[in-house]
Amino acid sequence: MTFLDTSEAPSGFLDSPQARALLVRVIRVAFPHAQLPDTAYEKTAAALIALAEKTPRHFLALSSGLASLDTLPAGAFLDLNATDATARLRAIEQTEFFGFIRANTVLTLYNLPEVWEALGYEGASFDKGGYLTRGFNDLDWLPEPRIEEYTGELNYVEIGPLTRQVGTGTAPAASAATRDEVTK
Amino acid sequence: MTAIDHDEEAVVIIGSGAGGGTLAYELTARGIKVVVLEAGPHITNAEYVNDEWAAFSQMAWLDPRTTSGSWRIARDFPNLPAWIVKAVGGSTTHWSGATPRFLAHEFEARSTYGAIDGANLLDWPLTLAELAPYYDRAEIAMGSTHRHGRAALPANNNYKVFANGAARVGYNFYATGPYATNAEPYDGRPASVQDGFNFQGDKSGAKWSTLVREIPRAEATGHLDLRPLSQAVQISHDRTGRADAVLYLDAAGGMHRQRARIVCVAGNSIETPRLLLLSASSLFPDGLANSSGQVGRNYMRHTTGSVYAQFPDPVHSYRGETMAGIIADEARHDERRGFAGGYYLETLSLGPAFLAAFANPGAWGRDFTAILDGYAHTAGLWIVGEDMPQETNRITLNGSVTDAAGLPVANVNFDDHPNDVAMREHGYRQAELLYDAVGSISAHRTPPYPSTHNLGTSRMSARPEDGVVNKFGRAHDVPNLFVSDGSVFTTGAAANPTLTIVALAIRQADHIAEQLANGTL
Repeated sequence: MTFLDTSEAPSGFLDSPQARALLVRVIRVAFPHAQLPDTAYEKTAAALIALAEKTPRHFLALSSGLASLDTLPAGAFLDLNATDATARLRAIEQTEFFGFIRANTVLTLYNLPEVWEALGYEGASFDKGGYLTRGFNDLDWLPEPRIEEYTGELNYVEIGPLTRQVGTGTAPAASAATRDEVTK
Repeated sequence: MTAIDHDEEAVVIIGSGAGGGTLAYELTARGIKVVVLEAGPHITNAEYVNDEWAAFSQMAWLDPRTTSGSWRIARDFPNLPAWIVKAVGGSTTHWSGATPRFLAHEFEARSTYGAIDGANLLDWPLTLAELAPYYDRAEIAMGSTHRHGRAALPANNNYKVFANGAARVGYNFYATGPYATNAEPYDGRPASVQDGFNFQGDKSGAKWSTLVREIPRAEATGHLDLRPLSQAVQISHDRTGRADAVLYLDAAGGMHRQRARIVCVAGNSIETPRLLLLSASSLFPDGLANSSGQVGRNYMRHTTGSVYAQFPDPVHSYRGETMAGIIADEARHDERRGFAGGYYLETLSLGPAFLAAFANPGAWGRDFTAILDGYAHTAGLWIVGEDMPQETNRITLNGSVTDAAGLPVANVNFDDHPNDVAMREHGYRQAELLYDAVGSISAHRTPPYPSTHNLGTSRMSARPEDGVVNKFGRAHDVPNLFVSDGSVFTTGAAANPTLTIVALAIRQADHIAEQLANGTL
């Protein structure tokens, strides 16, 4: 998308620090993670602005959506606490504006290496020899399970009920007692 | 690189994945000349990238398609009904690797399950006993673990949670396979380094695919002309109704015609019926091989879903093979559970990028971010079970949306059958119980991903009026036209389909070679 170099061109609101600050706040409220660095949200906002500026449809949606956030009755969006800001976003979650932010944040934020690191994901591994000697089986809070197929006395049932009952029904909420037993 | 003249009557195979790649190798190994038309590029293992979105852009079939029906995919991913690969090797290059066989009764779904409202069930014109020798050959070719002397893969972190949970709820038939990735070097390929990347292509070559085994071996025979970036757009026929050539587009949009003695279609279950429908003529007004009206119908995608559970202690489930764990206890047919057919539970792990994209599409807020916050403490599994064939679950040509060449794209219409819903619900519950038994603090149900198992749109039938091809995959209506992929599945069974597609392709190759040798084809 190109802009005319005249006074009739749209104002550069989307490139303003105000727009950037609003977008960062929207993304942080919609996708709250205490452990993520600020740079992750800032990079995501920058990427979304760059993406929106490629097509009139997204440019218009993002510009008007951000510019009008403060016009809602609750007042300035940046002054709202997280609960009120979330409620504000719920009210507009069906808009093209919010849908653009939601969909593209999911594609952008969670594809950032600093986010992977903060979430505990190690990313590319082949060049490091995979995880063969780097913890693919380092879980030590459960016993080593059998890896071979079952060779016990039971026959495999292809049709009909199992010869021994297995757990069914509604999963109970995990209890602290169960967890303690498991971690012993 | 062997060149076969466009005017030479070759066996023309469309697609180079599990079906097409296997068939190409089995025929060329017998000295039969084969042209393979592959729509995608020839991407090699070294070019794969350990990055979910980058790999998706590199490999996935992203040509436009449309969706309709009540399935959630039509809302969340309206132009991505299926997650399959467009490259030499097809979807074997990104498949997870699980290789269970069908159970005997799964070839006799109609007789075993009885009539089910809304389901277009039919028995296969084939039995497990007939296919068993070909299952053996497929497992040996693919190097399935736990089979024919192949070692089991070790337990990775995700499996430790899965298997302990399985044992505690009373399951017995669990193991780290069968799985077509080498635990030890085999067949000229190395052992797994547990790098955690499968859906992105396996850089090491430890995982079986037609890219690493059948295609290079077929090329070495000197009888294969492999043409990547060649999109088949029509199969033409002569005055007698025999297929005589395939028209295809090259990367620049140039139209080619390859003469054919036999045509074998293996474009996966969306493109295969699309091509047959695009091949309609005055002689075949409803599409090639479609006198039954079943081309494109009975589209199946398996009943699937995932559960991701979080634990107090770390899991690091992304380390190691993506799907090296299978529970078979629920694969049985047991009407007391409230549905027909069965399902497997299989370990699964996604990176944060894909977990965010697929965990609950459209969701945001704290409930959503909590799924990602617990990433390092998360174990995951996939439910994969038999879904009901329905005539209205169907691939059709979209009259208003066209591809880059101006051809109608495929529309995929799908509604869950009540049996599918009941099975998925049961699977979710059992998975939650399993994880609860080893101390989960939360569990999240993920809806089905874009379809990786696409089946049934040119099904096998004993009678021509019930389906598209016979027990060898030969079209009822066109004597020298074969379908060589999962489209021929009469019903879906619970098992991951690749092993069965390979077994059927080996069997089909034997049949074609025999018919060619005795002059009946």
